[in-house]
Amino acid sequence: MDDVVIAILRSGTPLVYVTLAGVIAQRAGIWHLGLEGLMITGACATVVGTVLTGSVGTALSIAVLICVVGSILFWFVVEKLRANQIIAGLGLTGLGLGGTSLAIQSIFGSQAAVSAPAGLPRIGAAFGAYGVLSVLVLLMPLAVFLCWLLLCRSRFGLRLSASGEHPFAARSVGVNPSAMRLAALMIGGVLCALAGAELAAGSLQIFSQNMTAGRGFMGFAAVIFGAGHPLWATCAALFFAVVGALGIRAQLVFGDRVPHDLLLGLPYIATVFGVWLSARLRGGAKAAAGGFGELRDN
Amino acid sequence: MSDSLAAIVRAILFILLALAMCGVIFEFAGYSAPQMFQSIVDGAFLRRNALEHALRWALPLFITATGVVISFRAGYFNIGAQGQFYVGAICAAFVAEWLRGYPAAMVIPLCFAAGMTGGALWALWPGLLRLRSGADEVITTLMGNFLAGLLLVYVTAGPLKDPSGSGQQASSRPLEAAYRISTSSGVSPTIIGIAVLVGVALWWLVNRTAFGVLSGLSGRNPTMVRWQGASTWKIGLASFLVSGALAGLAGTIELMGPNGRLAGGFLPAHGFTAILIALVAGLSITGAAIVAFFFGGLASAALYLPVMAGLPSAAIDIINAAIALFITARSRFIDTVTKVWRRPWTTS
Repeated sequence: MDDVVIAILRSGTPLVYVTLAGVIAQRAGIWHLGLEGLMITGACATVVGTVLTGSVGTALSIAVLICVVGSILFWFVVEKLRANQIIAGLGLTGLGLGGTSLAIQSIFGSQAAVSAPAGLPRIGAAFGAYGVLSVLVLLMPLAVFLCWLLLCRSRFGLRLSASGEHPFAARSVGVNPSAMRLAALMIGGVLCALAGAELAAGSLQIFSQNMTAGRGFMGFAAVIFGAGHPLWATCAALFFAVVGALGIRAQLVFGDRVPHDLLLGLPYIATVFGVWLSARLRGGAKAAAGGFGELRDN
Repeated sequence: MSDSLAAIVRAILFILLALAMCGVIFEFAGYSAPQMFQSIVDGAFLRRNALEHALRWALPLFITATGVVISFRAGYFNIGAQGQFYVGAICAAFVAEWLRGYPAAMVIPLCFAAGMTGGALWALWPGLLRLRSGADEVITTLMGNFLAGLLLVYVTAGPLKDPSGSGQQASSRPLEAAYRISTSSGVSPTIIGIAVLVGVALWWLVNRTAFGVLSGLSGRNPTMVRWQGASTWKIGLASFLVSGALAGLAGTIELMGPNGRLAGGFLPAHGFTAILIALVAGLSITGAAIVAFFFGGLASAALYLPVMAGLPSAAIDIINAAIALFITARSRFIDTVTKVWRRPWTTS
């Protein structure tokens, strides 16, 4: 039983962090499909930084810095250049995936997986079998709680939601929606860096190309499933993690009788199911800001 | 006229901005940016046979991109071209394997039918989820891409596995030579003919039929289309099916033309590039043909880079991604400039 819970926490923690980043952006009115790119950048920066500097703390700060810079770039493109959020987000993701491949190629001379000498600190023997988990797992409930406090119980959160839902109203009471979005994306950048760090240095201490494998998009789906509420979105993310862990479990139980690759697809199927269910329950997707109409009219 | 000129100027300006950003990234990664761009241009257009190579990539990209144009025009962000492409190729491969030994004149059309049906079905379920329940099609089509990728790995390692293949990379048995519609160069009269046919048919569909007009309108203003008495439901479903079928067609061409077999890592970023082509072309079919040729050149350069200069082919992914980041930018700067420039003529 313990090993199942550990597996769920291990795969669920990065997903929860990245989901929180998506929730904050969603509240500010941004459909953040660049989560995947920021997450893999965080993962790469943590591992490569640890190899180069030898210190996990320094590496983590570098990762946070790079992800925040990436978020500011995304904000600039979406908010100042008024680009389509979905396409720009996919562009940011592509930049992250391609950029990390280029980075490990140019630093290590090959595209093979990079392993770091040290990982994130463990929570210690006091927790028994759970001692192998990293501190970021222990901090995860705290992060969720802080995010809930920030979004649902603070003046800042109210202004953020106002900027997302009704920018004109926000502007009329003296809130600058553009600045609020910048703040939201920067906080999201920090959370994405943590998600990547936990993924790459939490248990394995390895970075390989495309290792996020769509987790950023799954986090975004969890945001939609959870209706942009931090607690519900966290539940959705944990649900995806449980399905993923069950898939791995089923593989051990069934052995070769069920094709391995189809079990790997379970989290994706769960994601589709989640998006479908949330649409049924709430009735219809809201169109993303800005269609493609303007492309033909200009 | 001046408005479309402004749109072109804007697109070029933002592509230049994207290239400048790539230059900075390359310099940071320790490569010389000018040399890198030089070898990309060389690989894409100046090398011997480069035009043929560019065309080899441009043809399937063009066909996939026309499908993306159809769904984007109708207002659906179908970003699952990659998955529909894979599923189309898988279905065609199954048919070719089952009918091994039958005459080519019978098998080839069946393969094409299977590929297009497969692609259309892979677009159908996100389409139905969107139209019936309102499930966001961005997420469902994306997840469809991942699932189709896993399906491809499963099929090449399972039901269609080539028993004589090496352990390096799982792939299906090679197609019979008679079923191939081109050599591995990927350019043949058949493929060019199909691309031209698709281009003309789609141009006609978009610009000369009620479906084209209504789907274009429903992308901009669905309420108006509903008031006109047209069914947004039918238009939506048709645009999902057409775009899926076209991606499946491109997958079939890729299988029966240059590749000749189904392999695990089969054209990684094809669907994404097709989205870029559709956007750069401003959702026009004729534009897509021109832009596809440009991106086809980039794709052929991607294969040439590692051989030529030891550069990773990820460089091309970065260029594509940077263009994606900026291509939908609608900064008012250009409009302001052209308006100021136009003022003497318009006010007098």
